[in-house]
Amino acid sequence: MSITADLIRGHTETIILAQLLEQDSYGYKINKAIQAKTDHKYELKEATLYTAFKRLEESGCISSYWGDENSGARRRYYAITPHGRREYLIRSEEWNTAKVLIDRLITDGGSQI
Amino acid sequence: MNEKLREHIDMLFEEAPLTRKTVEIKEEILQNLIEKYEDLLAQGKTPEAAYNIAAASVGDISELVDELKRSGAHDGYSESLYQKRQHTSLLRSIAVAMYICCIVPTIVFDGRLGAALMFIMIAAATGLMIYSRQNGSGGKRADTGVMVDDFKQWRSQNNDRMQLLKSIKTAVWTLTVVLYIMISFWTSAWGITWVIFLIAVAATNIIEAVFDYKKEEGQ
Repeated sequence: MSITADLIRGHTETIILAQLLEQDSYGYKINKAIQAKTDHKYELKEATLYTAFKRLEESGCISSYWGDENSGARRRYYAITPHGRREYLIRSEEWNTAKVLIDRLITDGGSQI
Repeated sequence: MNEKLREHIDMLFEEAPLTRKTVEIKEEILQNLIEKYEDLLAQGKTPEAAYNIAAASVGDISELVDELKRSGAHDGYSESLYQKRQHTSLLRSIAVAMYICCIVPTIVFDGRLGAALMFIMIAAATGLMIYSRQNGSGGKRADTGVMVDDFKQWRSQNNDRMQLLKSIKTAVWTLTVVLYIMISFWTSAWGITWVIFLIAVAATNIIEAVFDYKKEEGQ
């Protein structure tokens, strides 16, 4: 699990952008969506999540606003910006390229065993 | 249990500067933990297990704290501190102006009315001085948390300044006593010469204000 987490960590920002493409969201909700999609095999630590939020906001990929909650506390929602959408497309393209290459370099080696 | 989670977050962010950004992130993370905790309870976890899982899900915040430290310098919180300082300076200026003008009523009005008005002005000015000083020191305390190293340097400079201020004050008071006795014997106007002491109080306050102003400029 921890090795998998290390592999995924480099893509935290892209993963968050992907979640925000669907709808504006807040920290815990994004994490729940990630857990659901990975059958509870992966979740982000709060620290990782907010370091990524901070960087994404500083680079103009996401914006944030205070949501009006009917029940309980007010939450800060994050939304993807047009610049964030472009950034997402670039990064997912990069990932697809890397995925094919890593597959060739690692998985295909397995056929020699 | 929410309080326990809050304490946990407070402890984790102990080293982060007290900026608006820090307060907001702490609040956001706390809200997430509370929601997670309640979800875990709903899934049938015991309160202790739910607390432990929620607390552990924060992870390593050292990188986040470093970023908060980095951006702490130019933050809205510091700006409000700056505004507070300007506010303090304004209060002090008004107080000093009142000290200087307090002699006017005794010139304009004869007898007791003039003296009474002068006393009221001195009282109000002194009140303003004390209020502004307490306000200012509150601001400085919050500031030292952000820049500990600067504070140490500032403190050593401050000690020299305090020494200088002390000697000036002593000189002013000695001079006041000498002037009081000399002028009193010279004019024999004992009924009014005691005003010199009030002027001395005003003078020392003005000197202190100037020192405080210089000190803030130095920072």
